[in-house]
Amino acid sequence: MTLDVFLLILRLLFIVLLYLFLMQVVIAITRDLRKTAAASASLDNKAPPVVGHLIVVDSGPSNILPGTRFDLSPQTTIGRGPTNTIQLVDNFISGEHTRLWFRNGLWYVQDAGSTNGTYVNNQPAREALAARFGDIIQVGFIRFKLAQ
Amino acid sequence: MKAKMNSGIFQRYRWKELGLLIIPFMILVLEMVQLPIAHYFQTQITSNSQQSIPFSTAILPPLRDLIPVFGLIVALILVNLLLSLFFPKADQLLLPLVGLMSGIGVLMALRLGPDVGDPLLGIRQLVWVLLGLIVCMATVFGLRNMNWLKRYKYTWALLGIILVALTIVNALRVKNLNSPTHDQLNFGPLNLQPSELLKIFIVVFFAAYLSENRDILSEGNLRIGPLRLPPLRTLGPILLMLGISLLLFLVIRELGLALLIYGIFLSMMYLGSGKLSYVIGGLLLFAALGFVGFKLFGYVQARFAVLTVDVVNWQNWSLATQDFARNGALQVVQGLIALANGGVLGAGFGLGHTGAFVPVAQSDMVFTALGEEFGLAGLFAIIGIYLVIIYRGFRIAIEASDEFNQLLAAGLTSIFAIQTFIIVAGNMKVLPLTGIPLPFLSYGGSSIIANFIIVGILLRISYNTAMEREGLA
Repeated sequence: MTLDVFLLILRLLFIVLLYLFLMQVVIAITRDLRKTAAASASLDNKAPPVVGHLIVVDSGPSNILPGTRFDLSPQTTIGRGPTNTIQLVDNFISGEHTRLWFRNGLWYVQDAGSTNGTYVNNQPAREALAARFGDIIQVGFIRFKLAQ
Repeated sequence: MKAKMNSGIFQRYRWKELGLLIIPFMILVLEMVQLPIAHYFQTQITSNSQQSIPFSTAILPPLRDLIPVFGLIVALILVNLLLSLFFPKADQLLLPLVGLMSGIGVLMALRLGPDVGDPLLGIRQLVWVLLGLIVCMATVFGLRNMNWLKRYKYTWALLGIILVALTIVNALRVKNLNSPTHDQLNFGPLNLQPSELLKIFIVVFFAAYLSENRDILSEGNLRIGPLRLPPLRTLGPILLMLGISLLLFLVIRELGLALLIYGIFLSMMYLGSGKLSYVIGGLLLFAALGFVGFKLFGYVQARFAVLTVDVVNWQNWSLATQDFARNGALQVVQGLIALANGGVLGAGFGLGHTGAFVPVAQSDMVFTALGEEFGLAGLFAIIGIYLVIIYRGFRIAIEASDEFNQLLAAGLTSIFAIQTFIIVAGNMKVLPLTGIPLPFLSYGGSSIIANFIIVGILLRISYNTAMEREGLA
């Protein structure tokens, strides 16, 4: 065997190894994607349970119809921004207005730094306030009843 | 949870990562073995014109010649072990990909070193990569709280600008603007390029600022003709930051970096607001400003003139073009010739001539050096690896839990993407050549360190995401 043949073999070996590596990486990626697809499918099946509703009692200056029901998941945010669980388009609602969460059979309501405030039974909810079903929650100038 | 933690390192060990590292190790050892053989082959070819040189095991290099590569392999295994012990859930694909790329970078520096008149080039690059791995680990360990990055966004922005401003003062005082190293900060024996760090600071700043003002930015209530822009009050800090960094780079004539920063700005604005109109508006503005710059500054015109050189038609070159190809366009023209010499399979590692004939082959033009020695097939594989790194970065970004982490990961990944595009296009005579490094492959300490910081941040974000998932499940 002459040296240039040997060098050619080394060269081909290098390219083969490079592509084998790429193949290995792509296989790892597809496996990963399948796994996350399966995981997200199983997550979708147990979508966040609805543990309560907000029913509009007084729509204030907004054009939301009284009686509208909003589903509440154990962690709910209300605001004008697109990332909120409940998006309310109204000039008196801040981007991130109110946070609600459900723990040990009780709802907790806290203002998320809004301009027009959040109230539970007319008490300002600057700190987290506990709320029971039937209580009135006011977000900006819209009043809701917390219902099951 | 406790039992799960104690279930043994064997189950938590990052086997996938270790498995993916095996082929890179084989590639590195193979090339390290080939280097002295190729050298021997070339000396034999020149000393006796005899057709065939016999192969014997005697010309295989002794094991001690392979020490540089073994050092890198040991370092990568150590990183794998450390990550398995402390961050088992961090992304497992990044390290093998980045390890292979920087390994090829070290080998290329080892190979090009003697040709560009600096025999220690490869060893220095190796030290930088080892340092880079340490910095990467330090980043993964040190970034306990991502909010720390977010909260001090103005500090980072200021720090980056001060670093570059220092460089400029230094450059104006000591050197002239035409020297290739005018953007370095000499710090004892170290030549630092603060602009490499500035790009990270800028992405951190953009990510923090955009994630806080996302709603306002995506609404866009300032109307200029058909365009809807966000209010200037919100846009102000970003535009200021962008303007300052662009100005800095234009002053030191780093067009590539200015292009990189603008590209990062546009992609992060798009990611943050989801509005294609910002990108289109930004590109139009860029084209307009670029045209003004082209008309005003001679050095911009000189860069673009390279694109008009028709290399294949060299026989009919005018005298002016011949002169241009020997001076201003020498790098690009020689690079294209080297690429053509490489062909599909390449000349073979250690058997090309790029180091001797292409100016600055070790950093700016390393892509053509790789192209000559590994051929089109090798270049495709290398670009494939870049694509996978970028895919992985965006994947980490998609999975991240909050907007800041998403924007940060995506922005840092776009650095790799845009930087690779600019320099590869420059080497290929598609865009004017600008001196920014090819990530992981170019010689250069600052660039290696900065890239490993980015990898560290990406690893940490992926680890945080995985931990939050675990906590929820």
